[in-house]
Amino acid sequence: MKGTEAAARVIGSLVAVSAALGLLAGCVAAPSGGGAAPVAPSATASPGADPASRPAAAAPPASVPEIPRQSASLEEQRRAQPPAPTRVEVPALGIDMAVRPVGLDAQGNMALFDDPAVAAWYQWGPAPASGSGSTVIAAHVDSLEYAVLPFAKLRDARPGTLVVVTDAAGTRHSFGVDSLEVIEKGVVDWDAAFDRSGASRLTLITCGGEFDYVNRTYLSNLVLTATPR
Amino acid sequence: MKKILIAGIGAGALVAFGAVAPATASEQNAMLSVLHGIPDTPVDVYVNDELTLDDFQPGDLAGPLELPAGTYSVVLAAPDSTDASEPVLGPIDLPLEAGGNYTAVAHLDADGAPTANLFTNDVSDIAAGEGRLTVRHVAAAPPVDILAGGEAVISNLANPDEQTLNLPAGTVEASVAATGTTDPVLGPAPVDVAEGTLTIVYAWGSLEDENLDLAVQTISGMHSSPDGVPAGSAGLVATNAPEQQFGIWATAGLAILAAIALAAAAARKAVTAKAER
Repeated sequence: MKGTEAAARVIGSLVAVSAALGLLAGCVAAPSGGGAAPVAPSATASPGADPASRPAAAAPPASVPEIPRQSASLEEQRRAQPPAPTRVEVPALGIDMAVRPVGLDAQGNMALFDDPAVAAWYQWGPAPASGSGSTVIAAHVDSLEYAVLPFAKLRDARPGTLVVVTDAAGTRHSFGVDSLEVIEKGVVDWDAAFDRSGASRLTLITCGGEFDYVNRTYLSNLVLTATPR
Repeated sequence: MKKILIAGIGAGALVAFGAVAPATASEQNAMLSVLHGIPDTPVDVYVNDELTLDDFQPGDLAGPLELPAGTYSVVLAAPDSTDASEPVLGPIDLPLEAGGNYTAVAHLDADGAPTANLFTNDVSDIAAGEGRLTVRHVAAAPPVDILAGGEAVISNLANPDEQTLNLPAGTVEASVAATGTTDPVLGPAPVDVAEGTLTIVYAWGSLEDENLDLAVQTISGMHSSPDGVPAGSAGLVATNAPEQQFGIWATAGLAILAAIALAAAAARKAVTAKAER
């Protein structure tokens, strides 16, 4: 009787651990078709489970819970980074620009290139091959030196407009435009635009809306969201 | 004001992107990782008398596990053990608070005796562009300095202490030297201080037994977003006309032109008048 109770307790804790692992897997797992076998959600049987566990006396295999383990060696830490985007094209709008990585400017804003032919990729966020999160590419809409720039044409995008991002590995990632919004700068949800989790998507950003002719700045950002297709 | 110009089929899907890998556990739970830092000693780990990590190897990191807050009793036993009754180390109480992020480390104390410590990981938000580095001394060795690029960035770190810095994201050439010296006992080795991520470096092993090593644990998800994207400066595609300002300039310009014209005319008149004289 005592044994059954113990077994029940073990199963109970297994269920709890499985649930926790399931949660973790759900959050962390990239849809890259990895080999990590998900933990069986049921405690009654886990036919594919690691047979190396100690022999189970009772019918339910009361094996040790599968807690993720890895070597903590320095070498293990060096994960391969996804290749950086190098080119963005919107054929229907005649946009074809080189892309280079950037971080932040001195004011804590995303840095952009003055070169009118180069768009900026936020290097601390996802890349198209990351498998999750928002790849952010931004460029100036205009400049006093170069007049109207390619990203000015983004306002003519339509739902489904094709956007192609090529990365350093030569892979062409195709996206279809989902939404295009002009949002006042103080109201833009930057945490959503720069989100590193959730489904893989592309966010193109430039300026738009009304202009403050005294302070030489646009009052809004144009934020285009596109999803893989 | 938020003006939606177009909204396609997939726009609704944006709402579903709520799932976020949490660096901090949900409010009632704690996150726990376990690092084995006792050289040459594989163990079975029992938590509350239940075998939780079978044949856990030195240098390995387990977890993270999301656990309800509470105090957990941990026993390390020989790898062929059948229960927790003959501890190699323990029982040790791990008090885990709700929302906390912890790493329990089995390691050697400064004199080489097995011990264990529960470290609390700093998973508070990190400024955009930066990473956080925590260094923990869990080795049988005297106090050390941590050098980055040849200079001490952490001084006199003793077992089992830790120190934390926020740094611009990038790779740090880190080495470990006895306090006050620059001759490395470990490294230099490139440590990636990733943006928005806590990188924890452990110096573990034994100086005397010549098996000192570095172990690394990373916890991501504390990143911050840039403050904005200033992407235009000329107003050439503005949806508002430059009305007033432009009007003023235009008026001023016309006035100046008019003045010049009048002056010129006057001068010409004067010249003509002179010539006629």
